[in-house]
Amino acid sequence: MFNLLPSVPQLLFVLFGAMALGCAVAMVAQRNPLYSAISLVGVFVSLACLYLTLQAPFIAAIQVIVYAGAIMVLVVFVIMLLNVEEEVRRPLRLTYLIPVGVLLAAVLVGEAAFMLSLGSSAPTPAQTTSGSDVGLTASIGTGMFTKYLLPFEVTSVLILMALVGAITLARQGRTPLFAAPGNVDEEPAVLTAGGDVAIKPGDTAATGRAYAREQIRSGDAAAPSTSAGEEER
Amino acid sequence: MIPLTWYLALSAVMFTIGVVGVIIKRNAIQMFMCIELMLNAVNLTFVAFSSYFGDVTGQLFVFIVMTVAAAEAAVGLGIIIAIFRNRESLDVDDASVLRL
Repeated sequence: MFNLLPSVPQLLFVLFGAMALGCAVAMVAQRNPLYSAISLVGVFVSLACLYLTLQAPFIAAIQVIVYAGAIMVLVVFVIMLLNVEEEVRRPLRLTYLIPVGVLLAAVLVGEAAFMLSLGSSAPTPAQTTSGSDVGLTASIGTGMFTKYLLPFEVTSVLILMALVGAITLARQGRTPLFAAPGNVDEEPAVLTAGGDVAIKPGDTAATGRAYAREQIRSGDAAAPSTSAGEEER
Repeated sequence: MIPLTWYLALSAVMFTIGVVGVIIKRNAIQMFMCIELMLNAVNLTFVAFSSYFGDVTGQLFVFIVMTVAAAEAAVGLGIIIAIFRNRESLDVDDASVLRL
């Protein structure tokens, strides 16, 4: 197993494992969320390669399509939409969290080391030969629609709930009472019979400015005061 | 052939990095991405066991975990947008109380 010359699968494992770990560390170390997201895409791609070395081509494809494609596009879209700046370095309020985090990490790494030491003595099940059809789409589909049909249906209900929840959360609370600038056509205001400006719901500062321009063009001097009142809002 | 324990160790280290990230990060989106990393570490364990034992169940559950992650991404990012709209900040320390 541990020859002097590593075999090709071992080289691939070391290559993609190191890539995954490096990208994961970079993700945590970055202060800019966008760079973190790109490092996470690196983790996903190297994990997909590891899935390929485990003879799971369907999962590898889904990993790239769903994770690196859909989910990360969503995350990057939100980062761009919110225009997040770099994390500002400021004093921690809860400073004891750092030693707690280091302690928990040490415990988990210790568990992994224990598992590795155990693995040399415990019998390792033989990896299936490359001729097996475990990772292929057909066998996954057969399992999903026969034995595990109920979890699959529950998952589809979960997706529906997530869809409804995301739309409910992300939409503006109500239809706004005042039209936003750009929402309304820029046209001169309507005058009442007495010569005053009739302010309708939906009028904005842009409407007032258009009214002022109209007044100036027609030579009426009463315009600026009403348009200034509109600008206050 | 690669021992199964190598995959398990890699997965454990990646999970650890994710946990550390959730603990030390204060940007909500970055904490969210660290949770995705933890889910992926568990996925690697599932696929490794599935491949080594020749059983397709592990890969089926990876599929379901990915679906849950997608649902989590949709709802989580919706919550993040709602928080940002109210507080103009993504720092979780700014959102430490439930009222506005």
